[in-house]
Amino acid sequence: MPLSSPSGTATAEQSEVATEPLQAIRPSETLTKEDCLELFRQLYLARYFDVRLIKEKKRGRLRGTLYSSHNQEAILVGSLYALKPTDWISPIHRDMPAFFLKDAKFDWRRADRLGMSIEEVCAQVWGKVGSPGRARDNWSHIGSREKRIIHSTSMLAGTIPVAAGVVYADRLNGGDAVCLTYNGEGSTAQGIFHEAINFAAVHKLPVITIVENNQWAYGTPVELECPTPDVAERARGFGIPGLVADGQDVFDVYDKVTQAVAHARAGNGPSIIECKTFRAYGHGDHDDDRANKYRSPEEVERGRSRDPINVCRRRLQELGYLSDEDAGKYLAEGKNAAEATNDDFPPEVVEFLNEGIDFALRSPLPEAHEGAKWVFKESV
Amino acid sequence: MSAVAQAPAAPAQSVKKNYLTAIKEALFEEMERNPDMICQGEDIGRLGGAFGVTEGLQARFGESRVIDMPISEGAIAGTAVGMALNGKTVMAEMQFMDFISTGFDQIVNMMATYHYRTAGEVNLPIVVRGPAGAYGGGALYHSQMNEAWFCNSPGLRVVCPSTPYDAKGLMKAALRDGNPCIFYEIKELYRRNEISEVLPENDYIVPLGEAIVRREGKDITFVSYGQNVYHCLQAAIELQKLGVSAEVVDIRSLVPLDEETIFKSIAKTNRIIVVNEAPMTCGFAGEIVARVTTKAFDLLDAPPVRITRLDTPVPWVKPLELFVLPSVEKIVQSALQTVKY
Repeated sequence: MPLSSPSGTATAEQSEVATEPLQAIRPSETLTKEDCLELFRQLYLARYFDVRLIKEKKRGRLRGTLYSSHNQEAILVGSLYALKPTDWISPIHRDMPAFFLKDAKFDWRRADRLGMSIEEVCAQVWGKVGSPGRARDNWSHIGSREKRIIHSTSMLAGTIPVAAGVVYADRLNGGDAVCLTYNGEGSTAQGIFHEAINFAAVHKLPVITIVENNQWAYGTPVELECPTPDVAERARGFGIPGLVADGQDVFDVYDKVTQAVAHARAGNGPSIIECKTFRAYGHGDHDDDRANKYRSPEEVERGRSRDPINVCRRRLQELGYLSDEDAGKYLAEGKNAAEATNDDFPPEVVEFLNEGIDFALRSPLPEAHEGAKWVFKESV
Repeated sequence: MSAVAQAPAAPAQSVKKNYLTAIKEALFEEMERNPDMICQGEDIGRLGGAFGVTEGLQARFGESRVIDMPISEGAIAGTAVGMALNGKTVMAEMQFMDFISTGFDQIVNMMATYHYRTAGEVNLPIVVRGPAGAYGGGALYHSQMNEAWFCNSPGLRVVCPSTPYDAKGLMKAALRDGNPCIFYEIKELYRRNEISEVLPENDYIVPLGEAIVRREGKDITFVSYGQNVYHCLQAAIELQKLGVSAEVVDIRSLVPLDEETIFKSIAKTNRIIVVNEAPMTCGFAGEIVARVTTKAFDLLDAPPVRITRLDTPVPWVKPLELFVLPSVEKIVQSALQTVKY
């Protein structure tokens, strides 16, 4: 359900600009069969990355906290698929697959793509020198100017003003890049969320704020973070479109983000897209047990009942892109991901991640003295 | 008379420029020199800044390079990071340095750490500058010197000039340095005529991390920066009448700090008083004293002294304000005790 701009305050013309490109059209209907199957494949890839890391973490091989993206993969896959390679993104802690899914259509290994290689991402997770940041900050706090990925901090919503600055500079240089910033619903309570979107709206900057509303900000439910039923309603105060997407449906996410990207690229400014989803596990792996105390098993079961892989699978079957036999091949409906094995995933997915992990295991730890390096750029 | 007032007949090289004009010239010249530079801040465009430092800048360079920002120091600092990440050099003005607290997270967590986090891939040429300091009746929120916050955040240069020559030269050096810099301008010095001076015609910088001896002496060393340098110089004049010879070191840069010049001075005088107008506890005066006592202990004949603001906010009305701040008299009294030790 798209929310329109507040017509009472906008002129008819402004109102039209703000809302018309964001009506309920479905760009996903023009996707080819190959695109649809690729989206499906990427969902498996994101899920396998998560399942595998959970196992590695339990084996004690990883340092730091794992923030599972389980059940939220459609948001990353669908939104990234709507971008051009030269667009920017700023993922946060629950978005690890975004780093290697950016600019990954069809060929995940292409050397020149403007996304991270699986080797780089795995080296980061294992804390090795092969990480783009040489493992100086943890997990999702990586990025690359060259690949157009903004480095986040732990201060949520803090990348939105950075995104606004990035695209401001890009526009000055004659570029047409948009930036997708990922945020949780909890971070929309931060002042900087509003300060940054306000600036972006004033200058009609192409900043698209994805709100992954997974209902829980650590141990606090969404109704204690945001006073409106939809977080997307926050857009009204900025006179920009606020859309709600079904975060379990990769096609719906793709549709909404594609519309927002077109709107932004045409010079009409930012939007907020709230993707409704549910956090499958605890805030981080350290919180898995405690999470059972602040939310009921019934709520968790309900929240996980629409697995994005199943939602996508049904759609592909409806479209006739997937035979009944193929549909049941991997991670069959009802299969508990915790019990999944490599056989539950397409072989190319397993192989791709194995290559990354092999690289990470071979890559050395940084030397201790690097801890004191790069505080300052040496003056010329 | 400042250059802005266009003294008609005076040959250019003899025109004295004040502290504010020196900074303004640095910004104009760097904007001219570097087409990838952006200036942004509250009221800096149409108005030309609350104090007029950026007057005429937007008319010359346009609205897209000189941006009137919404009132959000967080957005000012955060967008500066984004612009610099994407290849720009950014001057971000804080209308008063007191207000920097509302942009704190973006500065200490996002900006200061970027080079470190990326193992050197990204460096951010940003100068966050603005008026600071007390003695003008600005009260609690228009008087602060909060430089210690940023000296305690690795990855930031911290600078505080005391003269027009230094203000211009340090501003240019900071804009070209490639690292984020917090640049404290002393608003009480902006238009102080006594310190106006003729600036070089040619392009010049004052390198970061080089202190300067403002006055030579042999009995005691005063180490200071900003407007307290002038309190030290005045105290040195008073002390000379009393037979005490004081040396005054103006550090100019806090990070990086030129320790050598300080140690060299103490090697001569064997006594040190550090003067600044920030509160004492965990302030930069304490840092200088710590470095002197740990690295040059043998040079000292007397305990080092800090003369700082009391550990209070800066009160509004004059007697209260002056009571809590360093003064010439406090420096003189303290120096007399220290030389007798």
